[in-house]
Order: sequence, then C-alpha cells, then structure tokens
Amino acid sequence: MGLEQYQGDVNMCCRCSACKFIPLQQVKSYDYSYVCPSIAKYQFHSYSGGGRADIIADGLKNGFKYTDRFLDIVYNCQLCGACGVSCNYAMDMELQEPINELRLKCVSEGKTNEELEKVISHLKKNQSMVPVKGKRGDWAKGLNLKNAFKDNVDVLFHVGCLSSYDKDMQSIAKAAAKILKKAKINFGIAGDNETCCGGRAYQMGYEQDFLRQAKKNMSMIKKAGIKTVVTACADGYHAFKVLYEKYGIRGDIEVMHITEYISMLINEGKLKPKKNIDMVVTYHDPCRLGRLGEPWIHYEGKKIPGDRFVFDPPKEYRRGTKGVYEPPRDILKNLPGIKFNEMERIKEYAWCCGAGGGVIDSNPDFAQWTATERIFEATASGAEAIVTACPWCVKTLSDAMEESGCALKVYDIVELVAESL
Amino acid sequence: MALKKEIYKELEDILGEEYICNDPAIMPSYHGTELGAVVLPENTAQVQAILKTCNRYGVKFSAVATGWTGSFDKDIIYIDMRRMNRIIEINEKNMYAVVEPYVITAELQAECFKKGLHFNVKGAGSNCSAMLRGHGHLDQSTGGDDRNHLAIEWVTPEGEIIRSGALGSTDEWFCGDGPGPSIRSILTSAVPPGVTPGVFTKAAIKLYHWPGPPAYDIQGLSPKYTLPEMPKNMMARYYSFPSVEKMWNAEIKLGENEICMELMGFNVSMVAANITTCNEDDERVFKQLDAEKKGPGFFVIIAGNSDADFAFKKKALEQIVKESDGESMKSLEDPETEGILIAQCTRISASIRETFRAGGAFSSIPIMGQRDLTIKWAIGAGEAKLPLIKAGHIVDDGGAFFGWGVEQGHVGKTEIFCKFDPANEKAAAAVDKWSKEQGRRAFDENYFALMMGEVSDDIKANMSHYDKWWIALTRAFDPNDIAPQGGPLV
Repeated sequence: MGLEQYQGDVNMCCRCSACKFIPLQQVKSYDYSYVCPSIAKYQFHSYSGGGRADIIADGLKNGFKYTDRFLDIVYNCQLCGACGVSCNYAMDMELQEPINELRLKCVSEGKTNEELEKVISHLKKNQSMVPVKGKRGDWAKGLNLKNAFKDNVDVLFHVGCLSSYDKDMQSIAKAAAKILKKAKINFGIAGDNETCCGGRAYQMGYEQDFLRQAKKNMSMIKKAGIKTVVTACADGYHAFKVLYEKYGIRGDIEVMHITEYISMLINEGKLKPKKNIDMVVTYHDPCRLGRLGEPWIHYEGKKIPGDRFVFDPPKEYRRGTKGVYEPPRDILKNLPGIKFNEMERIKEYAWCCGAGGGVIDSNPDFAQWTATERIFEATASGAEAIVTACPWCVKTLSDAMEESGCALKVYDIVELVAESL
Repeated sequence: MALKKEIYKELEDILGEEYICNDPAIMPSYHGTELGAVVLPENTAQVQAILKTCNRYGVKFSAVATGWTGSFDKDIIYIDMRRMNRIIEINEKNMYAVVEPYVITAELQAECFKKGLHFNVKGAGSNCSAMLRGHGHLDQSTGGDDRNHLAIEWVTPEGEIIRSGALGSTDEWFCGDGPGPSIRSILTSAVPPGVTPGVFTKAAIKLYHWPGPPAYDIQGLSPKYTLPEMPKNMMARYYSFPSVEKMWNAEIKLGENEICMELMGFNVSMVAANITTCNEDDERVFKQLDAEKKGPGFFVIIAGNSDADFAFKKKALEQIVKESDGESMKSLEDPETEGILIAQCTRISASIRETFRAGGAFSSIPIMGQRDLTIKWAIGAGEAKLPLIKAGHIVDDGGAFFGWGVEQGHVGKTEIFCKFDPANEKAAAAVDKWSKEQGRRAFDENYFALMMGEVSDDIKANMSHYDKWWIALTRAFDPNDIAPQGGPLV
C-alpha cells in the first residue's frame, strides 16, 4: 500500500488530456464532452487527473510542498474515478488509485480540510457521517422488520447514515424494506446497532477511521453469521464490496446493491411491478455503484525490465468495465409506464453528481455546480425525472435543482419500484 | 527569478484572481517548469492585454492549447488557452467551422458529423485542439497542413490583433488569402507553441462532406468498444504487398482515381495497438499480424455517397490492389475489428495507444515530401531501428515506418518512430542517437533536410540561410523578443 507503489504509473502520464474528457470515441457533442468536474470547474491543468499524476510524480521525486493551493487541488476532487476510466481507454497505468492515495497521505500527515475534520470528528463521536437526530433505527418504527443480529435472517439490509437519519432520505430505506418484504425475503436490519460503513471517511482520506468502522461492521456481521449484505447506498456498496476487499476484511460475505437484488428478484419472478407509472425518466449512474463498483483486484507483481510498461504476472486494471450498469436499467425497463431515455454521459463515463470525495461537505458550491451540470444534461435527454440509486446522489441533485432553474423530479430507483408494486 | 509583484498584479487585474496562479504546487503539472505564472484568458481582449503587459515589462510568454508536449523556459508567462474553448460557428453553407484553441477535435467532429460534415483530423488525435495544423489519417481526401486553415485571428507578440484573409476586410471567415491580407507564409502554425510568434485566438477550419452516420452507435464498455453494424457504404481494409514498390504503386493509383476517404499507411504494429486494449494483447496481436502480412501495407477506408458510388469504389480498390499483388489481411476483415477500426480511424481516438501506451514515450521523425523518395529514406531508418529492438531499447515494431499520400497525390507524409521507456536512460540515449543519425543521413543522401531540433549550419547554408530570414521576420513582429522561439518552417 501507499503512494510509492504507483511511482511507475504516474510517471507514465503523457499529458494527453484524455482524462479531462469522456472516452474520446464516446464524445457525442460539444456540450457533454467533459468527464472530470474538477478540471471543468477549476480550469488549471493541475486539477485534472493528469495534472494530479504530474504533481504526485514530482512529489515522490522531490518531496511534497503542502501549500494552500496544493490542498485546494487535493480536496476539490470527488475521487469519482472518471479520469481513470478515460485514461485507461488508451493507457495501461493506474490513475485513480494514486489520487486516492495522495488524499490518504495528506490526512495521515495532518494536512486536512477543516470541514472534513468536523465530519470525521462527528463520525468518531456518533458513528455517523450526517447529523444525528433521534436513533439510527427510528426510520423503521412501525415497519415490523427483523433484527439481523438477533433473529435468524438470510440477508442484512445495511441502510447507511443518510437514509437512516435524514428525514428526506428515509423514504429510500422504507421503500427498499417494502420491496424486500413484498418479495418475502428473510432479511433484517441492524437498527440502532447499525454503524457507518466508513466508505465516505475513506473518500475523505481518513483511512484509520474507515478501518475502524469497517472492522466494527465485519465483526458484527461475522458474529451474526450473515452471508449476504444488501445496501441501497452506492457508497455503502463500494465500501463493503470494494474497500473491505481491498483491505482484506470482507471475508466471504456476498455484497449486493439493492438494484442487483431487485433485478434478480424480477428475473426470478419474485417481484412483479404492476402499477403504471406514466413518466419519462433518465438514469444517473452513481460513481461508486458504476465504474468504482467494479470488484477490487488484488495484485502482486513487478514490472518486467525493458521497453514496455508490463508486469509479471500480467496486471489486470480496473477500467470501470465491471461496474453495476445493467441491473438498474433492467429494473426501469420492467416498470410499467416508464419511458427510459439515456443521457449522453452514462455508465463508465457518467458525470458525477458532485457529492463524492467529501466535496459535499468541504465545498458545497462545487458539489452544487457539478450536480447542476448533470441536471442540465438530464433535462436535455427529455426526461421528467432523474432516477438514481444512491441517497447521496438523490440529495445532491435535489439540493441543486432549485438553483438550476429546472423542475425535474429526483427519485431513488427503489421509490419507483415500491410505488409500482 | 519570481515574477515581480507589480506584473502579477497587472495580470490579475486583467484576468481576475481566479485565473492566474504562480503557486509552486501547480508547476509540476505545467511541464515541471518554474513558470512566472500560469494565466487563463477568457477571450481575445484578455490575450491582447496580457501580451501588452508582457511587452511593457519585457517578460517572455508562451501560449499553449491542450499542451500534450512541450518544454518551456523558466519564469515565462504560460498562457493556458483552456478557457477559450468555444465553437464560434459551423457554417454549413460555406463549409467551415470557426473555433477557439481549446476546442478539441472530438468535440468539433461530433458536432460536424450531425450536419454531414467533417474535417482533417490530425494524427495526434481527437484529444488535441481542432485548430491544430498538421497531418492525419484523412489527408488523402481532405488535404493536410495549412490547406485546411482559412481566416485566422492572430494576436501578435506586441498585442496587435490581425485578422487574415477574408476576415481582414469582412466579417467572413471563408478564405485565408483574401480579399483581406494573406499572411499565410507567416501564419505557419495555428497552435502555439509553434513557429509563429504571438497567439492564435480563433481559426476557421475547412469542412468536407461526411458520408458516414451522424454518430457511431458505439456499444460495449471502455476499453472494448464495438460498432455492431457497419455504417452503410463504408468499408475498412488493410492490404499488404510483396514489396514497397508494389505498395507505393497501389497507393499512387488509388490516389489518382480518388478512391479512398482514408489511406493511412499504418504498419501492423500500429494496427495492433489500435485494436487491442492492453500492452500484453498489443504484443501478441502484433506478432500474429506480422506473421500474417505479405509485406509492407496500408489501411484504407472507402465511403460511398450512394450504393453505386460505394460499389464502384470497392471494385476499383480491389482491382488496383490485385494489380499490385496486394492482399487483404483476413484477420482484420472480422466485422468487429473492421467496425472499431472505422470508428477509431475516422475519429482518431486511439493515437495514444499507438504512441504512449507501450513504454510511456516515443520519438518521431515526420517528413512531408515526395512519397517514393521519403519511403526510400524510411526503409533505411527502419533498418537502423533493428539493433535497438534487438537490444531491448525500443518496442518491437519490425522496424516499421508509415505514411500516406496527401490530397490523393504523390506528395505526402512519411513518419517513423521509436516507442520506449523514458526512464531507461540507455534506451533514451539510443533513440536520440538514432534520431540524429537518421536526420543527418536524410540530408547527406539528398532525401530531405530535417528541420526538427537543432539544425546544423551546413543544412542552414544549403537552405539559403532561411533561419536568418525567419528571425528577421519574427523580430519585426516581436521587437522586444518576448515570444517563444520555434523552429522556422521553410
């Protein structure tokens, strides 16, 4: 682990600027050609994936100079992974991982962001990334759901901080629970005992806080003998599926996003959406369900000396190819009355909602600007509503809607599924 | 020496504090140079004001569009053209587009395709400025180099705005040579850092008829995109020939009969890079194609404007290739491979795979000239690569070169490059030596005079001391000597 392992990768950056745009073969218009919010907003090359690679390469060689501008560059990035996908269309090199590692390095050396410090301080105290009002399990009052750590269940529904505590987002948790009940799944929740997955702490650069949360979760899950975790939050999915695996603490639990699970239930005939929802919708791919939801690949090897940047054994890169893209689309196509229009930037090259990397906390204006760009794109698709599959995306897009001057509705996909049952 | 505060303040007043920076944190991403400042102008007026400030204080500057490559002097003002990224106009009737420097080719091309138009995309790729002057895969049917630039808006090093061609006397961009002033011989590059001092802020680019679809129906996920259905009346083939002479003969005949939309003299190493998604596959597929090929070859795309036009072009293509004993490489006729080659080689979206993916760097010698002559030189340059390949310094491409005729003609582009790991000092030194030796050989053996890098005095003397003329000319526009010195073009 650590930034140093990526020295060869960042040295490979040829400054081609592909990281700024969607994969070049996919550019369909002038309006939606960019993929990196940070370079699109802040303009200096340093804010692009390639610019960050150059900065890392220089830092590894000559030492890092933590000026205010340096930290501005580090923290004004959603770590959405889009630069890496576009780079990896052509190049064999890691880009997203060294950028993540730089954030971890900054935090470990005390070069933190004031707003993110507050969030993490709150996490340490309250086990939550969002303000705590009442108890974590209050959203489930009256729903008669099983306790996954007391009752014998097949599936743990991990709700996540935002859907648990934010009144506006609790509808997502309730809808997901309704769907699982309707399909007669033997599932339970952790209720008041649930704790933050730690994924967003990792994004913010707080590796130790992430690990603390991850270990807590896995300890409870293992103790309860749970084999399958389902989450309706893309950040939660990424944490359990990818990050826990990266750090070797996932064990053999199966991790599924609710869209994968619902898609499976529909295909098995256990869920049959019936009610007509007469609406034109588009779908926003959450970064950590899509390109960053790709399984972690453990790799150990070394560069083969010589003319090419190749490794022994051959290295497989996470290029965003194996993210969760089709299940949410399959679900939408199965909802009666729904007309589905794609936006221009989709799947592995989707534009971020703006919330990732702690940006929603450290620089809300940048998060809103990013979301507004997405809202304009959704509007251009002819949709009446943006459907997504993550409460953080729902929140960020909803918060930006008024500012954008658009009047699109924003739904989490489980809300539509629940309505159609 | 850091930029004086008063100069920084003056530039900040022009640009706003958000768009000027001299923090050391950003310098690694600006070519690792300790620049005086990086500035991001939004429009021509700001560029003009920046240059006037630079003149007043005698501060050197350099203006850069996408900035793929380049090396820059310390302490200069680096004008990053990123914010000047607007498509000003796509004039369908008069078939030109007007763009600012940071419109990339992929963007302009996407908009042009929708209108049944396209333009000369440079071989550097669609990630580069659409204003870029040079050569590319479509040269055969669109011409190359300054053929495709019409009127240009140019801010001279002293901050004077000059509008060339039709723009000099009207508001129209349709011609670079009149009815206003033609200064084509000076405007030798539309993307700094090039050879013309000053900053190009807008340029009109010639458009051509596009017989393909308004957009490709690309399927799959990166990096493995496919084109499930071949666009109507389009076909891609790679032909190899028993000898260079036969290949050249076919190239000339195809040009004379105006058959190909694209005739790109890819070698099979470049084809392998294009159609593979990682270095390991690239190496494997190259070996496979290298074994399959009959000899040297080229890649073509034909596109018909009607069924009859396509049928004629296909028949003529096959007949001409047959007469030169050429053969289509069967493995590349696979519809999935053909589809992605059509998409990538019209959009030029995989140049990075061809050049940087393997080792992280490449060194190139590109030449414009009479094709049969430059090919003869390139054969020798290719043979000179073989010891470097054997020593493991450069990627094995079989000692290949590539090139194509421009405007269906005998004059064209020939290029040869070495791909290597820049961190390998022995490799870098070997490539540098190869490059210098082959440049020298071109002159000594009367093929051409290479104008890249350091040019020796005897070459200059044999070229009528062009350098002195050029320097005198640029000084007339740049009396304070603040513009970058580029290599003059003759």
